[in-house]
Amino acid sequence: MADDESTSDGSDEVSERRTSRRELMRRASTGAVVFAYGGAAAKTAAAKVPQYRHKELAGTLRIAQWSHFVPAYDVWFDKVYTKRWGQANDTEVIVEHIGQADIPARAAAEVAAQSGHDLFWFLAPPAQYEDQVINHADVVKAISKKRGKMADVCYRSTYNPRTKKYFAFADTYAPDPVHWRKDYWTQVGFPNGPTTWDVVLKAAPKLKDIGHPIGIGMSNEIDSNMALMAMMMCFGGYIQDKNHRVVINSKGTRDALKYAASLFKAGMSNEIFAWSAASNNQAMLAGRLSMALNAISIVRSAENTNLPFAKDLRLSPIPAGPKGRVGLEHVMGCYVIWKFAKNKPMAKKFLIDLEVQYTGAFENSRFYNFPSFPLSVSNLSRRLARDQHEPSGKYSILQTINKKYTHNVGYPGFSNAAMDEVFNKFLIPQMFAEVAQDKMTPAEAASAAQRDIGKIFAKWRALKKI
Amino acid sequence: MLIAPAVLFIALLVGGPLVLAVYLSLTNATAGALHGDWVGLHNYTAEWSDPNFQTAFKNTLIFTVLANAVIVVGAAFLSHFLVREFRGKWFVRFLVLLPWAAPVALSTIGWLWIFDSLFSVLNWMLIHAHLVDKFNPPQWLGQPRLSMAAIITVHAWRLLPFATVIMIAGLASIPDEVNDAARIDGAVGLRKLWYVTLPLQLPIALIAVLFGIVFTATDMAVVYILTRGGPFNSTQTLPMWAFQTGISSGSLGPGAAVALYLLPVLAVVTVLMLWAAKRVEVS
Amino acid sequence: MRSHRTYNNFWTYLAVGPFAIVLAFPFYWMLQTSLKTDQDLYNTEQVPFGFGKGSPTVHNYSFLFTDTQYVRWIVNTLLVGVVVVLFTLLVSIPAGYSLARLSGRWGQSMGVGIFLVYLVPPTLLFLPLSRVIAEVGLQDRLGSLMLVYPGFTIPFSTWLLMGFFKSIPKEMEDAAMVDGASRLRTLVSVIVPISVPGILTVIIFSFSLVMNEFIYAVSFITASTSKTVSTGIYTELIRGDVFYWGALMAATLIPSIPLALLYNAFLDRFIQGFTGGAFR
Repeated sequence: MADDESTSDGSDEVSERRTSRRELMRRASTGAVVFAYGGAAAKTAAAKVPQYRHKELAGTLRIAQWSHFVPAYDVWFDKVYTKRWGQANDTEVIVEHIGQADIPARAAAEVAAQSGHDLFWFLAPPAQYEDQVINHADVVKAISKKRGKMADVCYRSTYNPRTKKYFAFADTYAPDPVHWRKDYWTQVGFPNGPTTWDVVLKAAPKLKDIGHPIGIGMSNEIDSNMALMAMMMCFGGYIQDKNHRVVINSKGTRDALKYAASLFKAGMSNEIFAWSAASNNQAMLAGRLSMALNAISIVRSAENTNLPFAKDLRLSPIPAGPKGRVGLEHVMGCYVIWKFAKNKPMAKKFLIDLEVQYTGAFENSRFYNFPSFPLSVSNLSRRLARDQHEPSGKYSILQTINKKYTHNVGYPGFSNAAMDEVFNKFLIPQMFAEVAQDKMTPAEAASAAQRDIGKIFAKWRALKKI
Repeated sequence: MLIAPAVLFIALLVGGPLVLAVYLSLTNATAGALHGDWVGLHNYTAEWSDPNFQTAFKNTLIFTVLANAVIVVGAAFLSHFLVREFRGKWFVRFLVLLPWAAPVALSTIGWLWIFDSLFSVLNWMLIHAHLVDKFNPPQWLGQPRLSMAAIITVHAWRLLPFATVIMIAGLASIPDEVNDAARIDGAVGLRKLWYVTLPLQLPIALIAVLFGIVFTATDMAVVYILTRGGPFNSTQTLPMWAFQTGISSGSLGPGAAVALYLLPVLAVVTVLMLWAAKRVEVS
Repeated sequence: MRSHRTYNNFWTYLAVGPFAIVLAFPFYWMLQTSLKTDQDLYNTEQVPFGFGKGSPTVHNYSFLFTDTQYVRWIVNTLLVGVVVVLFTLLVSIPAGYSLARLSGRWGQSMGVGIFLVYLVPPTLLFLPLSRVIAEVGLQDRLGSLMLVYPGFTIPFSTWLLMGFFKSIPKEMEDAAMVDGASRLRTLVSVIVPISVPGILTVIIFSFSLVMNEFIYAVSFITASTSKTVSTGIYTELIRGDVFYWGALMAATLIPSIPLALLYNAFLDRFIQGFTGGAFR
């Protein structure tokens, strides 16, 4: 039964891939319009209009999430998966999308209103909402019974050891591989690409000379945050230790800062300070950059638009530093069930069902969404290897990255509200940029960060959340 | 009383929430919760000592003052010519009005593309005019001074049409007799501008400035779309920092404090300017 | 004077031209961008003012109309705009009138007080308001915006109309009252008709504020069918770290041009509104 469902999802995916993205979007919106008018009519009549002929659905489940960067995922999720699940569970499922930048505002508004969706999705651990959500331990437990252990990175992103509460349920996360151009790197004599940070620094000036600099952002945006935090860890610099004490003022951080400043001077240009989250994608797709850290949206976009160099784009794990190879997730997809949600039982059941059979989501997101329970996607490695795009097998490395080098924000501690505040105030990119632009020495920047971040931790500790 | 509905409505929709916001700023409320433990003025003092808050406070003042200086000078200049009759006036006015007609959240995205780090058309033109280095073009959103200039430009750009319209109105309201009298007295050209037109235009210019100030100082969209406060939080503004603190990071109490720092400053400025506008008018 | 005409025109063009170019350039650029394919857009070799392979194309426009609910969002925005404008007029005409007729300082300082409402930062105000919205059962409905937007259109409009009504000679209404009309009737039949420019001003200003508002629209409404232009576009055309630049630009141009035409057509009357009104 279970296998049946996953294979049918898989074949859906294959047939859908043949139709263009445009076609898919068209289908999606037609469906949405029809659906919407039905919904509007229902509201004005103040009565429930059955969505399915001859059948009155018992409950409603409202879900809010981002617009997935793979439009096909939204089509599958909105029109196929949730429809089928709704019929099987006698529930009308309403999926609504929010621009990723607008998620925090809407979440805060729902909490203030004490009314909103039954399931609300964030792209990073929403620890600051802990008091507003139920304990999601039931969901985790129920899935564990069928699918074993949750991935450590997800556990550490959604569990608060101080309050012993799962403040969210992570359904998915995206690994954060390095994208690099095989042709450029070969041209300058490094055919193996960015294997270590040392190699990156050596290759950088040559790559910049041929007009293809390295692209690791130091700007107020998510990619910079992730890449720089990960780089710090490779040099032994951590924001917090495993007991959630702020330890950023360390030799490791200073080394990373020194390294990043010299990498900037040797092989990057001023553009990295100006970036938005889209910029490294675009610069890579324009053929400018020789290397960037990002979830697989870059390589997928290159394939979708049939760029000639799509076959030269390679994926690798984060380069190894003096303290090893330590990477981060790129997106941690977290659903929460508000305490004031109207339909908690179905919300829980939805999450459990979604996660237990995650193959459809994994395939339809084009491998963007990794399962938070590794066993929820059967034959994950084989599926990665089966991708048709040139060069074949390039996605296989994702599994290695996923298993060995993907950690949570706040590693080696747990993700928490203070980490999230550091993240949202862009204090790490700020620290790196100030050193790279010679506004501060590494030592000054690290101690300034220790001071500012220390205050943030003290604040959340006083609230008894860390 | 005919005024009752207006007062009631405003009291309910603005007054009530404002009182609540003040209350929140005195508590340690988190993430959307509309209550918390009382902490007195702690949020205000804690923010005051935060270096990024200080930058934000300073920038809000700088952006507001500079953008409005550009707006006032530009609008005063433009309005003088737009009250005249000339061929194509209708089309010129249409072009001038465009920025006002576009929703700010969308038109700023247009600017984001113009200032893009790689595909900036501005840089393309500068490079081809041999004014900047092809390999290291200016990063309009990546260098503190340039980013500040970029933000001020967009603010001035989007508010200039409105200010111009108000100023045109001011000019149009100068009675013909005044113009005639000035001509008889031999006041023409710059002399007339300085002694007759500008003084008469002043009260209305103050109104334009007032709107400009309110719209730049409380706006978040422009900074949010262009830099999100970057590079290295050097273009933070109070509304932006309030949002990042209170909404994105969930420290609602401190965020409310940040947002409210501006209120008394603006209130004083407004009352002074309205008072000045009246004075100038009377004299 | 007439002999100076051409000479004057030359200086006028010289003065106005650069402004018009700078102000309108972003729109020209949006047009250029909206006609390009992604490949063309991301090609650094391509002269940005020209078109590469596959461009110009109307693909971005057709995408907007067939693959998103763009039309619906436009209709929603217009709907909210119209309702808000009507409601604003309904409330602020009587309020402005009574303020104008209130004796002396009291009316004036009340007017200032009303204006101060603009200074309240919307950054956080949307939180308490969303509670209000939920309490009255308007969450995720266009009605929420129709309820909240007058909160910032009414103060301005009242203030503006107050000044405007003051400039109307009191004798005119006295005459009407002598004829036996009530105060309200006088307002409707005598004052309003001669205040059309002022009312037009209020309409345009309120409408442009509605168009520009973002944070309330984002936090009150998530249903795609009830979104307004700005928020709908943010949801559909910015996906994760991918911007659909061409479609974004097209989506900005489409409402801007007719609105600018409309504002322009009304501008002369609009100017009358200001000059007759608040500022003297």
